[in-house]
Amino acid sequence: MLQITTKKEWKGDKVMWLIIGILIGFGLLAVYSATGSMAYLRYKGNTEVYLLKQLVMAGIGLLCMYACHRQNYLIYNKLAPVLFLLAIPLLLYTLAFGVETNDAKRWITLPVINLSFQTSDYARLALIMYLARSLSNKQEYIKDFKSAFIPVMVPVLLICGLIAPANLSTALLLFATSVMLMFVGRVSFKYIFMMAFFGILLFGTVVLIWWFFPDAVRVDTWISRITDFISNENGGGYQVQQSKIAIANGSWLGLGPGNSTQRNFLPAAYADYIYAIICEEYGLIGATGILLLYLWLLFRVSRIVMKSPKAFGAILAMGLTLNLVVQAFANMAVSVNLVPVTGLTLPLVSMGGTSVLFTSVAFGIIMSVSKFIESIQEEQPAPENELMKMANTSPKPKTVEDESDH
Amino acid sequence: MKGNARHIIEATVIILAGILLFQSFYIQFLDKDIRKRAQYAALEKVVSYPARGAIYDRNSKLLVYNNPVYDIEALYRKIDKNMDTARFCQLLGIDRATFISELNKDWSNKQFSKSKPFPFIKRVPVDQFAGFQEMMHEFPGFSAQLRYIRGYPRPIAAHAMGYISEVDPAEIEKSNGVYERGDYKGTSGIERAYESQLKGDKGYKYLLKDNLGVTVGSYQNGALDSAARSGDELMVSLDADLQEYGERLMQNKRGSVVAIEPSTGEILCLISAPTYNPNLLTVDRDRGKYFSALVQDTLKPLFDRTVQAQYPPGSIFKTVVALAGLQMGVLDPNKGTHCGGSYTLGRVYKCSHIHYDPRNLGDALEQSCNVYFYQKIQDIMNKYGSDKPGKGLDEFAGYMRQFGLGKMLGMDYFNELPGTIPTDAYYKRHYYRLFRDSTWKAAYEISIGIGQGVIQLTTAQMANLCAAIANRGYWITPHFYKGVIKNHQLQPQDKFLEKHKIDIDPRHFETVIDGMERAVLTGTARIAQLKGIEVCGKTGTAQNPHGADHSVFCAFAPKDNPKIAIAVIVENSGFGSTFAAPVASLLMEKYINGKVDSTRTWLEKRTLEQDLIHKPQPAPPTKP
Repeated sequence: MLQITTKKEWKGDKVMWLIIGILIGFGLLAVYSATGSMAYLRYKGNTEVYLLKQLVMAGIGLLCMYACHRQNYLIYNKLAPVLFLLAIPLLLYTLAFGVETNDAKRWITLPVINLSFQTSDYARLALIMYLARSLSNKQEYIKDFKSAFIPVMVPVLLICGLIAPANLSTALLLFATSVMLMFVGRVSFKYIFMMAFFGILLFGTVVLIWWFFPDAVRVDTWISRITDFISNENGGGYQVQQSKIAIANGSWLGLGPGNSTQRNFLPAAYADYIYAIICEEYGLIGATGILLLYLWLLFRVSRIVMKSPKAFGAILAMGLTLNLVVQAFANMAVSVNLVPVTGLTLPLVSMGGTSVLFTSVAFGIIMSVSKFIESIQEEQPAPENELMKMANTSPKPKTVEDESDH
Repeated sequence: MKGNARHIIEATVIILAGILLFQSFYIQFLDKDIRKRAQYAALEKVVSYPARGAIYDRNSKLLVYNNPVYDIEALYRKIDKNMDTARFCQLLGIDRATFISELNKDWSNKQFSKSKPFPFIKRVPVDQFAGFQEMMHEFPGFSAQLRYIRGYPRPIAAHAMGYISEVDPAEIEKSNGVYERGDYKGTSGIERAYESQLKGDKGYKYLLKDNLGVTVGSYQNGALDSAARSGDELMVSLDADLQEYGERLMQNKRGSVVAIEPSTGEILCLISAPTYNPNLLTVDRDRGKYFSALVQDTLKPLFDRTVQAQYPPGSIFKTVVALAGLQMGVLDPNKGTHCGGSYTLGRVYKCSHIHYDPRNLGDALEQSCNVYFYQKIQDIMNKYGSDKPGKGLDEFAGYMRQFGLGKMLGMDYFNELPGTIPTDAYYKRHYYRLFRDSTWKAAYEISIGIGQGVIQLTTAQMANLCAAIANRGYWITPHFYKGVIKNHQLQPQDKFLEKHKIDIDPRHFETVIDGMERAVLTGTARIAQLKGIEVCGKTGTAQNPHGADHSVFCAFAPKDNPKIAIAVIVENSGFGSTFAAPVASLLMEKYINGKVDSTRTWLEKRTLEQDLIHKPQPAPPTKP
């Protein structure tokens, strides 16, 4: 009963499961090493406390992934509008009454179960699902501005605009993902540029709000981070310096697992700067490895969704993957001082609380799409037939493959 | 998905990845500046520890100073494998086993690193270190860190001074970055109360070190470095000579002494006997050993009997009963009573001395007549009728609170206990618990009139009540703090200036003070007479459940313009006049006159020689 055989229960692309597993394993090692000094501060040197916490979170995350990937992914199509509509009041509530940490209201605490989470994590998922649904439903008349584009553009601007005041980096990441999704969803360049223009307008509005209500938005933090980044004469601020030293320490092969010295000097080494620790302990080889893992993940997904009979699955999986991979790149870019400090974590690797759960749900959904595609491949070796059938039963949403064959 | 779009996105992501990898590669191999920095494997924060503030007594005599010691640190990677271990051990005074066990840390534990210095031998005394320092160049990998521990030129006032110890992780967490591992912090007494003044600030130097632990330079040219700032020097109110003399008088006895300057509330001496040598608890290498020995001592030398022991005060309580009675209008100072040696009210209450019938309050205080005060406390409680003893008692208790009894005094000293002054609510609870009926009668509880029953006071409270009587109606919170010394100038304190006024007519105080003076001149406390000084005192003999009666004495002198108020308790030793009064009178004499008169050297000798701990109690010899 309890024996879950991999074959039967864990479906979907095996290679992707493997990549996820390796990333989680990497995360456990790196976090265990990076939390050493914190463990001495809080738990009298009981370094296993953080390892255990990370293990438990990874376990819960895998359970989430398992549960989400067992669903038929079409259920996310049905849920998308509800989840999206729920995101708006949640974000508004967070801006008004959220828990304040480091001057930013990002968190809310769920009553009864007493679990706090970042509403932007949830909103990201909801928006990507909703976008996937809208873009796939309106494939036929996507070139029409009023009926097709407005219902796609307004949600993006709304959600990003609500996230931006407290969490600009997440908002920018989400906006970038949305633009790429539109590109994938065959929205014309004209509209995409238009949306970018509106995005800039919105950003201007947020700054204007700050001008009048300086407490509402963190514009001052943004400015100081960006000036810190630009005025880079002595090699940046303390964090950046330490991060660079860590990377340089690594050289080709690194100092070896658990031998980082910079973990004692890097603030939040277990989250924001985990990539620097990986560089230090595993060298350029390890750093390349982890980068390739994310790349591989993206390529794998984009190969798989090629075979997707429905546009919704393809756009959904692609959107979630792009979001996570770009987030990973953004995190690494902070460590190597390509962009200003953001606070984005390295998905599946960084230590984190509830955000791990949302990442896991995202992977679960991706795997659910992959499982479905695998299953139709097994049943019908010739996908064309399946596609025809699909097209006949549900004529409205045309598949992407259909159109690309024109 | 449209192939074109896919390829474009994939290409974008690959380019991004390429940029990221190139940047990593650039930092790792091409950025010369960072390459150089990376060679300083780490940035090290070097701490220099401040000297803790010294503490002086009221006459600027040194009580506590700093002893420099050295923590020897080791950097494993740099240690010469062929070093002369035998010579090294000999220089530091350690054996080979210690050397090996202290050097070979558990390297799997992240706390230690072979390329980071770790504490090897802590607290090496200066003389020992001097020899080692000359040879230190022969032992690469070892360095020394100057620390300060406490030293005491005279081994006195251990309880009052308190001690320092290493901070524990919980305190570090709570302190918000003020304390770090290995820091010292005042844990008790004055060291704890004035920690913020005494501790000073640590200095930091940021050094860049290469991967062999060699210093390569200072970080950002020392822009972030700061020097250590020594702690403030403190003057406390204690009189070191008086304290030392008092501790000698109290040797081989159990008990406590508190002396206060009435006009300022300054504590002149505070003795809890048996005491211990404060040098034992200084944070040196043997501290743990001595500490556990003190904890296990059956005489409990670490227990502070001045504020943590609550004693029944016995007859000295009669002074405040008289004052409250006078103010409440139930006591006529000119009326006496018949004392047949006992008082019968339900049961027989005995008077402890045989004496003449007191004609007035003065006689009653002089002879410490129990019968008189049994009657007076009964009158106090029954002021509003014998059916309402609670109302009278609560009014009485209100006056006691004004004297600082039954509540904490708020001294700059920790672990004070409040003592017990019963109220109506207290007895109602008490009787309800016993009989399921909360009504009670004054007649049940008349023993509180002579400071027995449930009444409990600390020695500090007794001294303070004496100071309040000496001041004719007010007291200032007893305290040690005189101020911080800056540039050889005492900065006067402004924390303990408030006068706690007592709503009792000053003329009533004069009545009671007359009685106390007569007690010394012709009454129970004649042994406390001093030549040329008008002493006002009151003896007490406190029955207690722990064995023989406690000898209690409280007094102040001189009568006019008093300089010292004192309370002495000698546990389980008998009458107040036998043990406590001599100690108190000798201390007052020493403090006011600076020496003990030749006519009283016999008393001094007797008191010094009395041993109530090690041999059976000797019979008190009589005056020759």
